[in-house]
Amino acid sequence: MKFLIRSLFVSMIALLAAVPAFADLRVATSLTDLASVAQLVGGKHVTAQSLCRGYEDPHFVPAKPSLMKAIQHADVFVSVGLELDAGWLPLVLPGSRNPKIQPGAPGFVDASEGVDVLEKPSGTVSRAEGDVHPLGNPHYYTDPKNLKVVADHLAEVFSKLDAANAADYAANAKAFDERIDTSLEKWEKQIAPYKGAPVVTYHKNFVYFAERFGLKQFGTVEPKPGIPPNPRYLSDLSERMKKEGAKVVLYQPYYNPDPCNQLAKRAQGVAVKIATECGGVPGTEDVFSKFDALVSSVAGALSGRTGGSR
Amino acid sequence: MSLPRIVAVRDTCAVTFALVLAAMFAGVTCAPALAIAQPSSMFSNLANPAIGMNALFSGLAAHNLNQPYGLQFDEAEISLISVVDPYWTLTSNIVFLPDGVDPEEVWVRTTKIPSVQLKLGKIRGMFGKHGMLHTHAFPFIEAPIVMSNTIGNEGFKDPGLEASWLTPLPWFSELTGGIYQAVGPDGDHPLDLGSSRHDNVPYLGHFKNQFDLSGETTLELGQSFLQGRGTDGHRHAALGADVTVRNVPATSSNRHGWILQSEYLRKQSSIGGSTIREQDGGYASFQYRLSQLWWAGIRGERARKSFTDFVVDDAGDPVAAKVTRGSANIAWMPSEFSFLRLEYSHAKADAGIHPTDDRIAIQMSYTIGYHPAHAY
Repeated sequence: MKFLIRSLFVSMIALLAAVPAFADLRVATSLTDLASVAQLVGGKHVTAQSLCRGYEDPHFVPAKPSLMKAIQHADVFVSVGLELDAGWLPLVLPGSRNPKIQPGAPGFVDASEGVDVLEKPSGTVSRAEGDVHPLGNPHYYTDPKNLKVVADHLAEVFSKLDAANAADYAANAKAFDERIDTSLEKWEKQIAPYKGAPVVTYHKNFVYFAERFGLKQFGTVEPKPGIPPNPRYLSDLSERMKKEGAKVVLYQPYYNPDPCNQLAKRAQGVAVKIATECGGVPGTEDVFSKFDALVSSVAGALSGRTGGSR
Repeated sequence: MSLPRIVAVRDTCAVTFALVLAAMFAGVTCAPALAIAQPSSMFSNLANPAIGMNALFSGLAAHNLNQPYGLQFDEAEISLISVVDPYWTLTSNIVFLPDGVDPEEVWVRTTKIPSVQLKLGKIRGMFGKHGMLHTHAFPFIEAPIVMSNTIGNEGFKDPGLEASWLTPLPWFSELTGGIYQAVGPDGDHPLDLGSSRHDNVPYLGHFKNQFDLSGETTLELGQSFLQGRGTDGHRHAALGADVTVRNVPATSSNRHGWILQSEYLRKQSSIGGSTIREQDGGYASFQYRLSQLWWAGIRGERARKSFTDFVVDDAGDPVAAKVTRGSANIAWMPSEFSFLRLEYSHAKADAGIHPTDDRIAIQMSYTIGYHPAHAY
């Protein structure tokens, strides 16, 4: 009997602990940058969390049941869109048993809507080219201007779902846009001396940043999306880098640093770990600090002052 | 009085005839213009389902089996998935085998009910861990022997209705209940649930709990129960319990990680108030990801009173035995869409004409089109 009473007591405590904390809107996202924008736009009316951590590869998030649990009571789910999260979201969203955030419901947001998408494949998409994104490059969040599109979109969605605070969402989005404009001027000045400089990245997830700041995407460490490099490929790429003066290799914390360091060493350049998603490296907790760190790292590497294995 | 009517009918006929003639003439003369004016996508394909296919091939060298060596076609699985309407999503997996076609899974799902997922159709019943896997997702080329002796080599597949409830507990805790069509034992269903009695509705219960031990390691515990009345009028049931510890490093989720998994299954019947354990057994396996391209695994298993291909008598007929088997494999995955596996296994049996069995198997898997993510 004592055991039964204890069990019931423990179960009641567990159920009470399961009651989610109060917020006007509970927002979940598939990427830390989206959670950061959602929090800045939502302000005190929103609690935002990302399922993918900043140091985790957004292509390969394990579809853990705990992620389904985390969004069981969410009011809004913000997907990156363009199939970046297609490897795990189709399991996690239905697994949450939350009708409010399923695709087609008012609480489901495709954050890529309204963004000018780069590298849209023309004609037939073939996996002979690796694991290509058939709807275009989904890493648009590396261009600060695209985050303004996301912020405005989220303000609109939040206002529909929580009309009482619509004015706050609109004001927050406006403030966000202004802060991006001001910050962008600063970031552009930092990168300006290196306009046209070539950079090599592990994956093609830097093209929006390169486009915005006038850098040249020289090549990628992986020969094709999702295919790891072999020694022959790295040798050829390093030769090309030496010949054409490309000295900077950039990689995110979730990619294998070994081929990046090898490549940089052979090309007599530097390999630098960067965060293209908030939380990827320490001190990048929101999108502004992320871009501060990212711009400083890239500018530092291109200047030849900083870097890993020179 | 009837004459004017006849005339009227004749007039009507003449008018109709003239109209038909005119329409035909117009049709003939205008047809090319209409054909040109028609949109090229009169039959829209924009709402077509996501389509994918997986093809599996294998080769087996097993000296106890009376079969020629060489590469063989195992199966081609075509999957079609699409939203039906605002209420339902349909998933189907049609499997083409060397000897026929099996509509393995055809079911609809709704997530319109908060905290509950409802599935109906031909379902892969929520029983155990290995039984939920498609053939190309098996961690080893050959399924554990206990599977084909309890719920089926590829799990319990049967038309029915399943509801799974995500409980309000603070961790992932899922309770599933299902009812299914009464089916007798066959190659796919070793469990006899085929009584035609009107009170025979086979039912299933499954309880799954998953805990995050850390940001990278999870513990999953599952219990399963399936029961119904057999063609012999007695109650038949299957029980299962599974435990899985899985590690996926956050900064190298597609390069490293490991899975430690164990499962026990039992098939039993109740006759005259006493329960008879028919077949039972289990396995423990460890898979380790060496790099983006390479996986390795080992597995130990035991199945009691069970049948398997090499345990036969002098006449070549299958006999039941206690079988113990160890397997080791290595897989090469040049991309997410193909792999090549090499597997060695050694087995011992306490009955039949072959006390031991050694075999080497090779398997190739290729996937095209859309492929839904595999469950964690």
